Amino acid sequence: MATARNGAIDKIRRERTFARKAELLARLEAVPAEEDADVSTIPDERLALLFTCCHPALAVDARIALTLREVGGLETREIARGFLVGETTMSQRLVRAKRRVREAGIPFRVPPDEILPDRVPDVLRVIYLVFNEGYAASDGDALVRADLCAEAVRLAKLLCVLMPDEPEAFGLLGLLLLQDSRREARVGPDGELVLLADQDRTLWDRRAIDEGLRVLRRAEAHGRPGRYQLQAAIAAGHAEGTDPQTIAAVYDALLQIDPSPVVRLNRAVAIALAGDVAKALDLIDRLDELDGYAYLHAARADLLRRLERDDEAAASYRAALALTDNAPERRFLEGRLREVEGRDVRA
Amino acid sequence: MKYAMLVYGDQSAWAELDEHDAARLRAESMPRWLALFEEMGKADPAVEGRELEAASDAKVVRVVDGERVVTDGPFAETKEQIGGLFVTTLPDLDEAIRIAALVPAAETGSLEIRPVVER
Repeated sequence: MATARNGAIDKIRRERTFARKAELLARLEAVPAEEDADVSTIPDERLALLFTCCHPALAVDARIALTLREVGGLETREIARGFLVGETTMSQRLVRAKRRVREAGIPFRVPPDEILPDRVPDVLRVIYLVFNEGYAASDGDALVRADLCAEAVRLAKLLCVLMPDEPEAFGLLGLLLLQDSRREARVGPDGELVLLADQDRTLWDRRAIDEGLRVLRRAEAHGRPGRYQLQAAIAAGHAEGTDPQTIAAVYDALLQIDPSPVVRLNRAVAIALAGDVAKALDLIDRLDELDGYAYLHAARADLLRRLERDDEAAASYRAALALTDNAPERRFLEGRLREVEGRDVRA
Repeated sequence: MKYAMLVYGDQSAWAELDEHDAARLRAESMPRWLALFEEMGKADPAVEGRELEAASDAKVVRVVDGERVVTDGPFAETKEQIGGLFVTTLPDLDEAIRIAALVPAAETGSLEIRPVVER
């Protein structure tokens, strides 16, 4: 009797889950073609693979590495650079991660509804990092690897379709679209890096900006802010020419959610843009844990240059150069280094 | 996939209770254990589970240079000891995590899920 009842309950549960999956699949296919023609053709297996690669039983590093390798299709060498480890180390990490997926019985599927919300942040983070890898590839002459960025945008769109009530999925998509909108303007005619303030705004992709803003508004309508929505709000602020003080205030909110060193660095840069260079420099000088991060030294160098502390600026540019092998970034840093060295000689 | 689920807990806390309180706590948690066993049985009718006597009753055996050395347990300094274990065959790790979270002892101690090597 009890067994029969339990069997019936199981059957109802299964049917409910199936109905939900069918509904999601139908919605996936209903995505308007003009949004992104590729979305409807992505096989569901790819999403299952994404969730498998992002399973919490794997170490975070392994999740990211595995996703970049298996879903993003990056070379082991590229992933190794992204992680600042040797190629052999990364290769071993990937082998161990794959073995763990197999031996621990990590399922290959999109998680069922009851555990889906727990798994989404990991997937969001990995997509974000895939985009980052594409946006500022760590070597070679191509500053922007459009294919990886497009891949990340596609995956973010897919998540939005699958999780229409998850504001952070939309926040992430908005962020990526807004960042990606500046792709053409970020690199000058000779392949050099062009900073935001110096970019030719006519090169910004207006359509991507509009889509990003629309997606962000949809995310914010839920009234549940998160790190991706806040970062998207910052990117939106840059796109719309919002005043630097307002942008710095959004960074304050982001810091509450994510007090990581990189956010603290970016907030310091925002404070400098808002006019308080001395405070920004003081904040950056306290970020010892980012000593191996090229952008810390580049940001510090820029502040020192603006304060005309040229000797110190030159030392920081050299420190940044020692940590980056991205050719456009190197050209940019070398140009600035010559500038402060020249000024130094004159003085 | 076959999984071993090792139940960790602070057994000394149990040992300090008087008989009456221990019996009361056992009775209180019994419905949840029964619910667990029913759920485990549904997931895997061949599930095996054993509760272990306190680690303070353990004997630790080593062979050092061919000599048998027997000492009293517990030999580990950690507060949490294995108090029991399940061996069960489940479809995947997510199901193992779901079941493990149903074990009442997971709230006071922890459950360690270890895939069993099958060659």
